[in-house]
Amino acid sequence: MDNVTTITTPETARRHWRFPMAQLLPWLLPVTFLALWQLSVSSGLITSSLVPSPWAVFQDGVDLWQAGTLPTNISISLYRATVGFVIGGGLGFLLGLLNGLSKRSRALLDTPLQMLRNIPHLSLIPVVIILLGIGETAKISLVAIGVLFPIYINTYHGIANSDSELLEMGRSYGLSKWQLFSKIIFPGALPTILMGVRYGLGIMWTTLIVAETMSSNSGIGYMATNAQEFMDMKTVLLCIVLYALLGKLSDLIAKGLESTFLAWRTKGVTIND
Amino acid sequence: MTEPLVTLQNLEKRYGHRMAIHDVSLQLYPGEAVALVGMSGGGKSTIMRLIAGLEKPTGGRLTYQDPAPVMRVMYQDDRLLPWLTVQDNVGFGQHGQWVTDLLAAVGLSEAAEQYPAQLSGGQRQRLALARALLAKPQLLLLDEPLGALDALTRRKMQDLIMRICAERHLSSLLITHDVQEAARMADWIIVVKDGTNVYQTAGAKGQEAATVAKVGEDVLRVILDEQVRA
Repeated sequence: MDNVTTITTPETARRHWRFPMAQLLPWLLPVTFLALWQLSVSSGLITSSLVPSPWAVFQDGVDLWQAGTLPTNISISLYRATVGFVIGGGLGFLLGLLNGLSKRSRALLDTPLQMLRNIPHLSLIPVVIILLGIGETAKISLVAIGVLFPIYINTYHGIANSDSELLEMGRSYGLSKWQLFSKIIFPGALPTILMGVRYGLGIMWTTLIVAETMSSNSGIGYMATNAQEFMDMKTVLLCIVLYALLGKLSDLIAKGLESTFLAWRTKGVTIND
Repeated sequence: MTEPLVTLQNLEKRYGHRMAIHDVSLQLYPGEAVALVGMSGGGKSTIMRLIAGLEKPTGGRLTYQDPAPVMRVMYQDDRLLPWLTVQDNVGFGQHGQWVTDLLAAVGLSEAAEQYPAQLSGGQRQRLALARALLAKPQLLLLDEPLGALDALTRRKMQDLIMRICAERHLSSLLITHDVQEAARMADWIIVVKDGTNVYQTAGAKGQEAATVAKVGEDVLRVILDEQVRA
């Protein structure tokens, strides 16, 4: 029998390499924007004292990082965001679960929760400041209130709208209440719950930024307000870029959760007998 | 004399003012294959749902052998859990030799790690069959499980169900619109019309194609209100 050897020629190798268009395309517009911005400032089209160049903003970031200001403020903002999200999200999840599963609980709690949900949570800032001051508790509470409702609504709807045919199958196959929950109700509700998590992450940052801008002496929001008082446009822009990056990080976390827990949704290739 | 697994005596089910079934009487014996045929809306599925205990009758008597037989339903829309793999669907997350054996019995061993969305219609129904067999039922309630399959896959599934029922001495109650399928798979065929059983005849399970065709044709005539040939 002949031995077959495959030789990879440079031509073959070249044919295998493909321009990673899909990976690069999402960054095309941001990079173009930065390049145009830099060119406009460098050529004098935009006054650098009014709008500093991206490079100057980057330099400012490096300086603030080395001085320790940036890591401290990012850490405190991340801490507030995370604790607020865990408390609000956890409470929203538990309430959604309770009301989704129990008709009695739904009758008792859903109406008041729907009423509260319709109050814009940022309008509570004066109330929170009066009651809790401008300390950590106030900011964490605001984030928690903001995050609670999207996660509550999505958990509640996901659980309450479980597939009745699958539930009937489960009951007729003798599944216990816990098995019905863990094998049918919860996995079926998970896509809707994770949609709530994604939405909640967005609200988390918005609320924190507003809270830190209005009443704080630390955090990214405080950095931006403080810089505005000194007409320090570099730091203001740096804070905006940080918000964008943290928002992107939240989005990546949400996507990561979806690809971990909803992996079955991507396995949909039908084959024939 | 063998005691029937399930006995229905003048069974009745109303939904509000609407009478879904009335005066339905029949018996299902161990190892027997019975088919319920008839037009849509005639009450076939209601009879099966009452036997399965998914709904309560509003009149008549429904009694089971003592101890009550284990029953499992196979639905037309398979009702697989899309988030569980093939083997997890069989045992609802429990693994073991019994699950492995069942997957082998329905020819799905190699697809054990796949998800239902990766399976064809026929494979999905084979998986639903394996899941139905996990609890070692004595009675399989088949609610048009082959209705959505193509002719060839349907034929293969009929053979698989008949083979498994014979090997495990399983009784079956098949609901179908297809009179030829009923004739081919059942020992007894019951025609259900306007909410009650109007006609019963012997099926042609295991018999040659010409007999199956004749039985199917006769049953069709009953359904369509025509005279049955002598």
